[in-house]
Amino acid sequence: MDVSQYLEIFLDETNEHLQSLNTQILNLEQNPDDENTINEIFRAAHSLKGMSGTMGYKRMQNLTHNLENVFSEVRSGNIKVKPEMIDIMFQCLDALQEYTDNIRNTSDEGTNDNEPLVKMLGDILAGKAPEGGSAEKAAAPAAEAPAAESAAPAAEAKKEEGATDKWNHIPFDESQIAVMGEALKQGKNVYGLNVVVNESCVLKAARAFLVLKALEEKGEILASMPTTQDIEDEKFEQDFTLVVISDAPIEELIKVSEAVSEIDKVTGAPVDLDKAASTLEEESSEPAPAVSAPAASAAPAASAPAASAPAAAAPAAAAGNAPAKHNDKKVAKPVANRTVRVDIEKLDSLMNLVSELIIAKNSLVSATTGSAENSSAFNEQIEYLESVTTSLHESVMKVRMVPIESTVSKFPRMIRDLQKTLGKKMELYMTGEDTELDRTVVDEIGDPLMHLLRNSADHGLESAEVRAERGKPPVGTIFLNAFQEGNNVIIEVGDDGNGIDVEAVKNKAIERGVITPEQGAVMSDKEIINLLFNAGFSTAKQVTDISGRGVGLDVVKSKIESLSGEVSVKSTLGVGSTWTIRLPLTLAIIQTLMVVVGDEKYAISLGSIETIETIASNDIKFVQNEEVINLRGTVIPLIRLNELLEVESQPSEDGNLIVVIVKKGDKMAGLVIDSLVGQQEIVIKALGKYIKKVKFISGATILGDGEVALILDVNALL
Amino acid sequence: MEMLQNAPTNSIANLPDDGDETKIVIQTYQYIVIRLGDEDYGIDINFIDNIVRMQHITRIPKVSSFLKGVINLRGEVIPVMSLRVKMGLADDVIDRATRIIILKTENEGNLGIMVDEVKEVVTLSENQIEKVGHDADGIKEQFVSAVGKNGNQLISLLDLSMINLDDTN
Repeated sequence: MDVSQYLEIFLDETNEHLQSLNTQILNLEQNPDDENTINEIFRAAHSLKGMSGTMGYKRMQNLTHNLENVFSEVRSGNIKVKPEMIDIMFQCLDALQEYTDNIRNTSDEGTNDNEPLVKMLGDILAGKAPEGGSAEKAAAPAAEAPAAESAAPAAEAKKEEGATDKWNHIPFDESQIAVMGEALKQGKNVYGLNVVVNESCVLKAARAFLVLKALEEKGEILASMPTTQDIEDEKFEQDFTLVVISDAPIEELIKVSEAVSEIDKVTGAPVDLDKAASTLEEESSEPAPAVSAPAASAAPAASAPAASAPAAAAPAAAAGNAPAKHNDKKVAKPVANRTVRVDIEKLDSLMNLVSELIIAKNSLVSATTGSAENSSAFNEQIEYLESVTTSLHESVMKVRMVPIESTVSKFPRMIRDLQKTLGKKMELYMTGEDTELDRTVVDEIGDPLMHLLRNSADHGLESAEVRAERGKPPVGTIFLNAFQEGNNVIIEVGDDGNGIDVEAVKNKAIERGVITPEQGAVMSDKEIINLLFNAGFSTAKQVTDISGRGVGLDVVKSKIESLSGEVSVKSTLGVGSTWTIRLPLTLAIIQTLMVVVGDEKYAISLGSIETIETIASNDIKFVQNEEVINLRGTVIPLIRLNELLEVESQPSEDGNLIVVIVKKGDKMAGLVIDSLVGQQEIVIKALGKYIKKVKFISGATILGDGEVALILDVNALL
Repeated sequence: MEMLQNAPTNSIANLPDDGDETKIVIQTYQYIVIRLGDEDYGIDINFIDNIVRMQHITRIPKVSSFLKGVINLRGEVIPVMSLRVKMGLADDVIDRATRIIILKTENEGNLGIMVDEVKEVVTLSENQIEKVGHDADGIKEQFVSAVGKNGNQLISLLDLSMINLDDTN
């Protein structure tokens, strides 16, 4: 029963379902009677329950089961959706998210039963008004509602099958008797259980395994007949017998066992220790009877992640410390790799292109075998090949592209929560969720966007009174717009709030010693606003837990810059502010200008190049002992790349310099190079992990002739 | 290249003087023997991914002098360092025998090291390897963890962790 191979799919799908649940429940809050939404939620909860059950994540299954029950009632109209319910739903989703995160990191769901939540769901089901949140009585994690009904048949079954006390015939060895005695002394119960599997069951071992696992959650399996190994190998007829040490009442053990499908009947009763001891005498002539505690035999089952933990802890638990179970688990590295789910259409187009590539290659082979008159056909094929590889390039790039939706879809929920914590009314409007970006960028962009949105909600939007004074609508507007512009993706985040108070920022900066009052007097508004991106700068009058710790904006800026993007802000006092993030479409492939310095080739990203100029050497002026040029009225400092990169370069014959004008934001500089090679699309490669960080170099690329060229990091030069 | 992928081998020897049928497992290790100047050094074969001929190395500005630059190894950019410079010897003289040994490291990806010559592969058993203490004074000695005795030949066995732990910049 190794389910670990499905773990990645499970995690992927769980995330999708959770996301859809989040969206749908938000939707439900707006339209409590929308049938489609309710159905959608029910379906998602149902799938989640099924999936987590199959994977053996019992706690998760239990919670989703209860969630599903509630929505089943909502769907049939027995329960009306109330605002308090929505809050509980969101808490459930958070709990499920926590399970999922645990599973991703350790392949185990963790030990949080979330009993208060389960109880609240039970209360909703029972028609009670949900109370604040603390469920004093720690109900057993098993669903409350069905508990009552299933106890009755279990009792019946016990009566009927009273004769089957097979557990009394299990030959115990001395240590097992001792453990049982010890357990009884500690007030635990020792039960014998007989489990009958349905005759038509195909996967007996699998069912038995699920029963064993369910029981291991409740207590410790001391012995079994046949051995657990044989049970897992399906070496049993229709039934098997277990001896379990547990705190829980026998009915509960029977219930969890019967919850496994295709289990016909489970009977059980406390084990009579005297009788058990007598078997010891009978069997004492036979050393090492065919019974083994799970500690010994569960090892082969260790491949199923959940099973391995209790097995390892069994010796400890046998000594009477059942709760020791989960402690000795090491936190391993995340179990699942990051994956990209690829639209089948994208793969099809890739496949087509590869086929074309093969055709082109074959035509080339035949063209080379022909005579000189074929040379035009040869050239034709090369051109064809070029166009195919270019398209192939684009297609592969597209495979890495995912819509930003996966990241931004959690924001409506966040704004909803903020609305409650901040006590402000606000609405989030999002457009362009389907804008695609490189997977790595999409993963990284979430935090900066969250910072900006929180900033807008907390500092941007005014309180209701101020809004009323200014004649603004009472509900504040926060927006997030994403769209593509050339080779960039633009994401705008903003609000219709107060805007940035330039004077306040300036005073704060002076107070903090970031600038002197003299500097402040000559700085433009834009320069002052840019001070906000300084580390440790926060103008929030009071620090709240939402934002205002002064770590927000500089983190946003450095994160965006690490993704080769840039962030800027436009703001009008009293009207609102807009933060604009500009990101490259993909990080892997860029357009560059190849230049030569000395005998080395370097690539400069086209995105940062303004113009290329030829400058006569006598046009170079000196300002503060630095070389500058005056280019059409703008004074631009010169950077001699040969000096910077420490290479010999030959001065050109005519004494003119080739200068590449680059810019970062408003800053410009002229890079003096030896000669130009031309424009080239390059694939960015890392310099190898051994070389941690090199100043001025952002990476490398492999040229057509197989040589490596370095990519200049223009941002570091300016 | 495939022959370089061997794991350490266990050979089982019967020692007749040690009672009947007692089998003693002797651990053996394989080393690639390289030459730097006049001295032979051994590199554990398990750390070696590949050995390539000298090729054009793209210089990286502003890094330590022992970092020679990067090369293209089947589409991957791999840093190359000079073992000579790192060990405080004279700079490399590149000739036909110069090779780049690609080491695989667990945490830092692949790394190439330049050597004067690759000579042979030797198999040494445990009793042919003698650990050396770290009271050594020279820079060179810091990189040698043990000495292997292969007949008359003495091979300084390199401690590769020394190469990787050092800061490069």
